[in-house]
This record gives sequence, structure tokens and C-alpha cells, in this order.
Amino acid sequence: MMGDLLLRTLRSPSRLVPLDALRCTNAGGSRMPQVLGGRLNADLADRLAAICPTEAMRRGSDSGGRWFELDYGECIGCGRCAAAAPEAVLPAVHLEACGVRREALVHRWSVDTGKEIPPQTAEPPRLDRWLGRAVNIRQLDAGSCNGCEAEIAALTNPYYDLERWGAHFVASPKHADLLLVTGPVTRNMAEAVRQTYAALPAPKLVVAVGACGCSGGVFDASPAVAGGVDQVIPVDAYIPGCPPTPAMLLTGLAAVLQRRLGRRGAGRVSAEAVKARSATAGAGSVASRANPQSS
Amino acid sequence: MTRDAALAGLPLTLRRTWEKDAQPPRLVSIFGRSVGRETEVHYLFDRGAADYEETTVVVGGEIGSLVPLAPAASWQEREIHDRFGLIFAGHPDPRPLLRPWQPAPPVSAPNGTRRWPPDAAAGIGAEFIPVTGNGVTEVAVGPVHAGIIEPGHFRFSTMGDRVIFLELRHFYTHKGTEDLLAGMDAAGATPIAESVSGDNCLAHAVAYCQALERIAGVEPPPRAQALRGVGMELERLANHIGDFGALCGDVGFAPMPALASRLKEDLLLASLAFCGTRYWRGIAVPGGVTMDPGEQARAALARAVAAAGREFAELGGRALRNPSVQARFDGAGVLTPQAARDFAAVGPVARASGAPLDLRRDRPYGAYRRRSVAAARLAAGDVMARAQIRMLEAAAAVEFLRATLADWPPGNVRDRFPAGAEGRGWAAVESPRGELVYWLLLQQGRIVRCHIRSPSFQNWPALPPAVIGGIIADFPMINKSFNLSYSGCDR
Repeated sequence: MMGDLLLRTLRSPSRLVPLDALRCTNAGGSRMPQVLGGRLNADLADRLAAICPTEAMRRGSDSGGRWFELDYGECIGCGRCAAAAPEAVLPAVHLEACGVRREALVHRWSVDTGKEIPPQTAEPPRLDRWLGRAVNIRQLDAGSCNGCEAEIAALTNPYYDLERWGAHFVASPKHADLLLVTGPVTRNMAEAVRQTYAALPAPKLVVAVGACGCSGGVFDASPAVAGGVDQVIPVDAYIPGCPPTPAMLLTGLAAVLQRRLGRRGAGRVSAEAVKARSATAGAGSVASRANPQSS
Repeated sequence: MTRDAALAGLPLTLRRTWEKDAQPPRLVSIFGRSVGRETEVHYLFDRGAADYEETTVVVGGEIGSLVPLAPAASWQEREIHDRFGLIFAGHPDPRPLLRPWQPAPPVSAPNGTRRWPPDAAAGIGAEFIPVTGNGVTEVAVGPVHAGIIEPGHFRFSTMGDRVIFLELRHFYTHKGTEDLLAGMDAAGATPIAESVSGDNCLAHAVAYCQALERIAGVEPPPRAQALRGVGMELERLANHIGDFGALCGDVGFAPMPALASRLKEDLLLASLAFCGTRYWRGIAVPGGVTMDPGEQARAALARAVAAAGREFAELGGRALRNPSVQARFDGAGVLTPQAARDFAAVGPVARASGAPLDLRRDRPYGAYRRRSVAAARLAAGDVMARAQIRMLEAAAAVEFLRATLADWPPGNVRDRFPAGAEGRGWAAVESPRGELVYWLLLQQGRIVRCHIRSPSFQNWPALPPAVIGGIIADFPMINKSFNLSYSGCDR
């Protein structure tokens, strides 16, 4: 009987999501916004900032003039901005800002010119080469709602198969190279998070996952919450989203581990590739690529 | 404490409610609210009528405990003690619940509150109930577990392999959610409800919206109700399939978790294609829903659900006929009908222990008023029964989805939700884990008090009775067969 099930597994067609779909449409279904800077004006910037429930959208001014900011680390993808201003905000299909430094999650535009002001970001996190092609990941829930856990667990299913890249989830921080931390760190979990980090051997790579892990998310204002992961332990890279899609998690981890998803020379996604993909796909792009039943 | 002594300690109104019928009512929830220097304690009971029965008592300082009469009141009263500084006289377990590892004052206790005296728990042990004797070993597990799981602490006392006592210490993921909601604009707070328990986020969003709509006197259009129903049954189907696979994985039956994780992902991708999100976040809003998929999308979803349902029924049936699975599931982790009643367990856990409790049938709401769902019920109360109940409910969900998607109501999907709603009200939905209750008090459209009674909060105390007496190696499997949310419990 068990043999039957195994045979069925072996005979069923591959479910792996194609690599270019992972790379080019990683944010499909994440509900993260994409701002068209050219359409911005002062009135719109005010409206968007007022409508955003987590203050991920902000505006202000400095010597360079008026600016508008979108912090993907605080965005929960509620979709209110895209509904209120469909001419300037679209649901993102591709998100480059996965597995990057905190500053690189903040995108800023000049309201006057519509041009994007590049973030002043440090070098991307670099993993010591000696880790080679295997990396052991310890997932740590510091107080999350379990949404990010559901998506992280999905990484091991036959569609995403994280182990292709030599990455394994391990049972103890003492076995781990990388700590994948979700959730706002609650006051009740803060000490456990510190002790888990202390048990991690060098190089102690830490990746914060989700809006809560990046910034505290919707729980940031609660006195029972210490804040984002970096309020308690040092963080090397951030993967935003509420929750991040499995594809965002994969592209984020690939960025941190400096792995190419796909062919040599295809490590970075060209603007044309994203455009071509977005034109033919929609929010459900990964689904339509991967799932024969839903196409 | 005798029954009479316990009754004598209760406030008069509460005693009358309790004694009204020969059969004591089912305890739904107890929660507090600060009113000046006093505390308003709300008791929600289920007597089988269309509405829950609410009894409110205003007290300062001290009140009699309901625990000697209803064990299910234990955690509820301890939480009120922690948050509002109220002493429950006669509570058999007077220890802090929410933040026992912190000397800090309680989250929201007003001035002039009272604490259980430090020696109140003498003989119980300040932290854990001590179990002593020759050959007794204590095993501490958590809060950081060995997998992609939420944090919580389990303290086992074992004699050899046998678990002779188990105590839970949760609330590591306590985020002060109810306090955070207070003061917020009610119409815009759905994202917080969605983040109470991330894998049941639509059930939480719908329960929250229904409570609001009840207060405002708004009835969402039929098409919105249908969409919410479709989303909630999809959520149940995906959760039950995932739980079933993980349960088989816990006994080493490896093909099933792989196949179940694939089927679950099939459904999440079908959701994505249907409404643009995998978990239906941002879909339910007060007054309706935010999207309206067309006929093609509905047909595609119906096909995906039918395929996943067919395959799960076949594969699950095979797994449960496997002798090695049967040897582990049969007779393990029994929650007796009496224990299920004592702890007022809800959801699939209760239904696998003989309790015919399903809000979709008992108090139909939304789409379930148009179309009923076959209610499952088994009596054995073991892991096998909880596995089977998930298969039965998955099949019922598939049938509900087929029928609802084929018979689509016309009209719009969202009505305007009035600003400045006032009043109080509750709503309860049958989430994949069971009865989920939101109680709200609004003033000028803002939340004054929101109480969230998740099914996990209710069911966690019913886990130890199912574990004690078994072997410790069965614990992961028994725990998985309950599959409770830590974040939903801790809030």
C-alpha cells in the first residue's frame, strides 16, 4: 500500500516552479505595492501617506525638495494604496528588495521630479565562502502569527523544494549557519531569542522575515512587543512581506547566500524580463505558470 | 471546594444564570473590561439558544471563582487576573498566566488593582506543579522547538516512557493584541484581526467583520457572503489536508506529508489565481469583500478543489488503512467526552470526542444560512478519530465549495459600512480549529474593547488530559492531532 503511494509520487509530473518564474514574478500574490514615481504629486503623496495603516508610506521634505517614501519593511500589503490610487500604485509582480539590508527596503522618490532617490545602503551581506554549497537554516519564531511559518514550511513542498540549493532546516541553532527569524519579538520571547542567537555558531547569519520581523509590523506599537528582530539581535538581511511568498523567501535567501537562481549570468533580473513577464501574467502569475489545474 | 461553597461565592446574577437549568451551560468565554477603578467581568454562556447568554458583573478587587463548577474557566480567570488585577477567590491554581516570567506589572491593569498574594500558590509551586517520587523525571521542551513551529513550553513529568503529568506554559507570543485594538478605528482594523492567527486569517477577519456588522446593523450582500464562505471552506480544506499530512509524518509515514504538502500548495495556488492572495488576506472588510472573481475564475477554482478533494480522499483513506499508521493512531491520546465537556473543548477536537458542536449548523451565519454543511461527529476521541474527522470535514468542505461555486448569487460584493457605529456585539464563526468569538464594544466608530476568544485558547487546556497516561514518544503526534495555534491562544 505504501508502495502504491511511492509509485504515484514517482510517476506524478514535476511540480517545480520554473526558475524564471521564481525570479521574475517572486512578489506575485504578495500584495506588495509598486509605486510609479512619475505619477506622484504632492496631493497624491499626502493621500497615500494618510491611508497607509502602518506608516510604510511617508512624505516629507529636505534640502533636495519634497520626497515620498515607501518602506517595504513596514508594508503589510493591505492593498489600500493600490485601491485608492490605481493610477500610481500597482500590485508588485517582482520585488528586488528581498534578502537585502534594512536601508534597501526603503524606496524614496522626489515628489517634484518623480525620480527615484537611490538609498544610501551598505554593501549587501556577504556569506563566508567556506560555507560552500550547503547551508543549515534554523527557523525561529519570535512571536509571529504563524503566517510566515506557513510560507517557510511551504518551501519544502514539491513546488519550491528548497533542498535543491543544498539548504536544510535543522532542529537546533547549534547546527545552523543561518537563523531565519519571524515575528515581532515579543517581550516574552526576547530572552529566548537572545539565547538562540548565542547558541548559533559563527558566522551567525541572521535573516529577518516578514513585516513584523523587519519592523514590528502591525504590532510595533504594542507595549507587549519589543519590535522588529533587529531590536534584540543583529540582523544581516531582511525579507519583507505579510507574509512573504515562498518565491520571495527563495529569492531573498538566494541573495543572502549569493546563489544564482537559474542559468549562469542570470543572477540579476533585467527590467525587460520583468516587464515581459508582468505583461503576460498578473497577480496570479506563479500559479498560472506552475499549476496546470488553474491555468 | 464543594459545589455549594463555590456557588455561594459567586455574585448573585452569575449564580442565577448558572442554576437556571438542570444542565449547566457551556462556557464560551470570560473576559474583563476596566471601568474606572472597577472591573466589568463578562461571562458568555451557550445554552443552545440562537444567541449566547451574556452575564455582566461589575466588581472591584475580588470575585468568586467559577473554576470549581466549570474547569474551563481556569485560564480565562487567570488572564483577567493578570490583565485587570482581579482576585478570583477559590481559584485552585492562582498563578500568573500571561507573563509569569516577568516581574513587570500586568499589561493593562489600572491603578488600585489587587494581586494574588505571593504565597497563594504555595503547595502548587510558583512556576511548575512539582511531581516528586522515585524514578520521576522532568522533561522540559521549548519555548524554541525543533522545527518550523511556534514557541511554547511543555513540562512533562515521566516515569520511564509514561507521561504521568504535563503542564503547559504558553503566552510566549503574547502581543497585547486586544490592548492594541483599543482606540483604533474599527472599520480599518481588519489587518490586525488577520494577524492573530496567520493560518486561519480569513476566519479571524470574517469573525471580526461580522461582529462589526452586527453592531452597525449591516448585512453584507449575498455574493459577499458566498465569497467569504468559499474562502473559509478553502481555508479549512487546506488546513485539514496539511494537518493530516503532518500527522502521518509524525509517525514516519513519509509519502503522506509530501503528497499533502503538494495538495495544500495546489489549493493555495488556486486561491492565488482566484483572488490574488494565497491566504485571503485583505479580502474580508466590514460590509463585504474587496474582490469579485468572474465565472472563469470560479470554474477554475471548482476544478482545482474537486481534483484536490478527490486525491485527498483516496490518499488519506489509504494512509488510514496502513497497519503501521493504525498501530500508532488507534487508541492514542484519548480525550474522553467528559474531559471535552469539562474543558468546553471546541472544533474538530470536540467533534472527535462526541460533542455535536459546529457553529455552521448550530448558529448558521453568512453563506451557511443558504447552504448547510454535513456535520461530522465521532466518539472515540483518539488520534485516529481526530484524523478521520479531518477527512470527513475536508469532504464536506469540497461538497460545499462545489455547490456554492455552481450556484453563485447575483449582485454586488460590498456595501458601504457606516462611520461612527456604536454599541456592543459579538460574532462567532467556525474556524478550521473551531468556535472563534469576537466581542466588540464601539464608541463613535472606535474600538473601546475587543475580546478575542480563539478556539486554541479554549482547547489547549484539554491537551494534557489526552497526553497523560500515554508514552512521551506519542506526544508530537497527539499535539499535532489537536494542531492548536500558539499565536491565536496567546494573542
